[in-house]
Amino acid sequence: MAGYSKESRRLQTRKLIAKLAEPPRSYLVQRSKASLLDRSLERIALMAKINRDTICAIIILLAGGFFFWATFYIPDMQYESLGSEVWPRVILFLLFLLTTCYLFQSLKQGPDEAGEGGGLKGWIIRYQNALWCYGFFLLFLLTLDYLGMLIGGILFVFLTLTALGDRSPRNHAIHAAVAVISITFMWSVFTYGLKVILPQGEIFSAW
Amino acid sequence: MWENFSEALFTVLELKTILLMILGTAAGLIAGAIPGFTIAMAVILTLPFTFSMPPIQGLATMLGVFVGGLSGGLMSGMLTGIPGTPSSIATTFDGFPMTRSGKPGLALGLGVWSSFFGGIISAVALVLLAPQLADLGLEFGPWDYFSLVLFALTITASLAGENMLKGLIAGVVGLLVATIGEDDINGVARLNFWIETLESGFQFLPVLIGLFAFSQLLSDVKDRERAKKPLMSDTGSAVKVKHLQAIKIIFSQWKNLLRSSFIGIFVGILPAAGGSISNILAYDQAKKASKTPEKFGSGVPDGIIAPESSNNATAGGALIIMMALGIPGDIVAAVMLGALLIHDVVPSPTFITENAVIAYGIFIAFFIAHPMMICLQAVCLRGFLLITRVPMYLLAAVILAYCTIGVFALENSTDDLWTLLVFGVLGYAMRVLGFPLAPMILGVVLGNLAELNLSRAFASASDLNHFITSFVTRPWSAFFLLLAGFSFGFPWFQKERGKKKWTLVYIPLMAIVLSFPIFFMEGFVRPGLAALFAGWGIYELWKRRAGGWKLLVEDDHFAEMHE
Repeated sequence: MAGYSKESRRLQTRKLIAKLAEPPRSYLVQRSKASLLDRSLERIALMAKINRDTICAIIILLAGGFFFWATFYIPDMQYESLGSEVWPRVILFLLFLLTTCYLFQSLKQGPDEAGEGGGLKGWIIRYQNALWCYGFFLLFLLTLDYLGMLIGGILFVFLTLTALGDRSPRNHAIHAAVAVISITFMWSVFTYGLKVILPQGEIFSAW
Repeated sequence: MWENFSEALFTVLELKTILLMILGTAAGLIAGAIPGFTIAMAVILTLPFTFSMPPIQGLATMLGVFVGGLSGGLMSGMLTGIPGTPSSIATTFDGFPMTRSGKPGLALGLGVWSSFFGGIISAVALVLLAPQLADLGLEFGPWDYFSLVLFALTITASLAGENMLKGLIAGVVGLLVATIGEDDINGVARLNFWIETLESGFQFLPVLIGLFAFSQLLSDVKDRERAKKPLMSDTGSAVKVKHLQAIKIIFSQWKNLLRSSFIGIFVGILPAAGGSISNILAYDQAKKASKTPEKFGSGVPDGIIAPESSNNATAGGALIIMMALGIPGDIVAAVMLGALLIHDVVPSPTFITENAVIAYGIFIAFFIAHPMMICLQAVCLRGFLLITRVPMYLLAAVILAYCTIGVFALENSTDDLWTLLVFGVLGYAMRVLGFPLAPMILGVVLGNLAELNLSRAFASASDLNHFITSFVTRPWSAFFLLLAGFSFGFPWFQKERGKKKWTLVYIPLMAIVLSFPIFFMEGFVRPGLAALFAGWGIYELWKRRAGGWKLLVEDDHFAEMHE
């Protein structure tokens, strides 16, 4: 009994030591998480090497590929000496060559310089004036049939000025005056001076 | 000839044309005075007004803007130190110090009159050279024309400096844009992606205005705080321009005036190389030729005469190549080419003979615009500078709306407004990413010309072998291809000049290599010139070898100036 117990105790001790030597389950989970983190960090490091020139080169290559695909849909005229698809393909081939060089060049130059960061929010803040202008211009185009060139133009200038400039009652008044005077003047020059028929818009024509 | 000349003269001297030219020159002077507002943009914005005018009247108005814009930049540059346009950068090097030393009247006088004389010299060159160059252009076959377009695109891209690869990509993208829509040769709709409005392709002017003007305006207001401030708070005190004193000084420095004007004309003739390059190049040469180069930068008259005469002379050079060969010398000439196309006039080597009245009209209007610029600048100097007190965001929004109305007026089509938006976004993205816009614009302008000539060459060739070999066996084609090759290497040459020994060989080697195709041209004059050219190259190589291939440190003027 004593022998058994001694043997069994020794076995138990060995098991305990083995168990203790064994990394805990939580540790294994942590370790796998760590390697995942490492892998992610490696991936981020790789991504960081992809600067905006690399992204730009990839976009140009994709767009070039799309155009190349479209050249197969150009009707084949039997009588012509130089097919209509030849010149676009020559250009696309050149574009492919140059963009590939650009891609390799961009991969060599490494990540973008710091200071241009800030994620999406930073990007929006950096280009907010341009975004406002494009946004209002898009709105102007979408509403042109309804508002016409005169009202649409005045609204476009007023909204753009308000977005780009300081917001105060005095400035709003100045912006409104600038918008009305400048657009009415230009509209009159083109309509009455140059006899160009500018879009009236449904609202204006209803009046 | 005299009939055509007198008809053109009477058209330009009509009261309406003269009034329009005065308005145009005034608008150019104002636009030139505004920092960030380029001459090209001013000319682009004038274009919609000229749609309904007869060709000569429209072109005369645009020439007024062009000449006014070239001179307007010097006013703000001299009085405040901020050049109104890139064409006046070098003017500020000595113009501003002279103003600060208490001689603003003399500085302005020198600038204004140097512009005038430079412009007049280039106008004379335009009248004399354009017909000769056009005669030469008649020798060009389709292979030669295609190679010329290739050279034009390569040199434009090479002027982008370190961004040459981006310049080349931009040029190729421009060529691609020109292929969208109906093919001019076979009448086949292509790359329109089944969008009906794209079947006729993009109109050139909405593309140009979107790429250049739209994106430029948005770049000007990118900085939110700066956009809200007046462009210039200090527009200088009341200044009396010293005309007589300035003229006397300019005449005493006639060598500088002539040299700088010829540099301007030469740079103008090169496709897409405009006043922004010629003014720095002329300043650099004036400094090198001066007995007192150390005084440059402290307010010497030579430092004002050189850049101002050269940047105005560039205008004449750009018009020479446009009128003679149909290749725009710079963006402004590209817009003028677009204006001519609107009136169904296609510039080509036969342009001067077939449209003699319009050609003479351009010559005369270019002459008249210069005295007009002088008078307006003398009378309304202070008034022009007042516009620079307006914040940029106010100008940008109003001009953007004006662009929209102008683009719509082109074809009375809202499709063009969508084109404007698309290319406005593309142009802005290209600016942000460091792609130069000039090669793309040139690609759009020259794309059809290149394809047309390629197709003609293919049709004229007896077989594929003949088609390919003709590019190198025809002297003009080989000349342009070699020139394209050397212009391709030019950015590296410029970067390494004075540092690497191979740069010592570059220019003499170019002279020798380029003399080969010229040697095989018809007659005795050109082969004789080729022999001289090659002889000079060999002599230079021998001289440099005898000197032990020693690098010259003085070659670094450009770097100094950029600093």
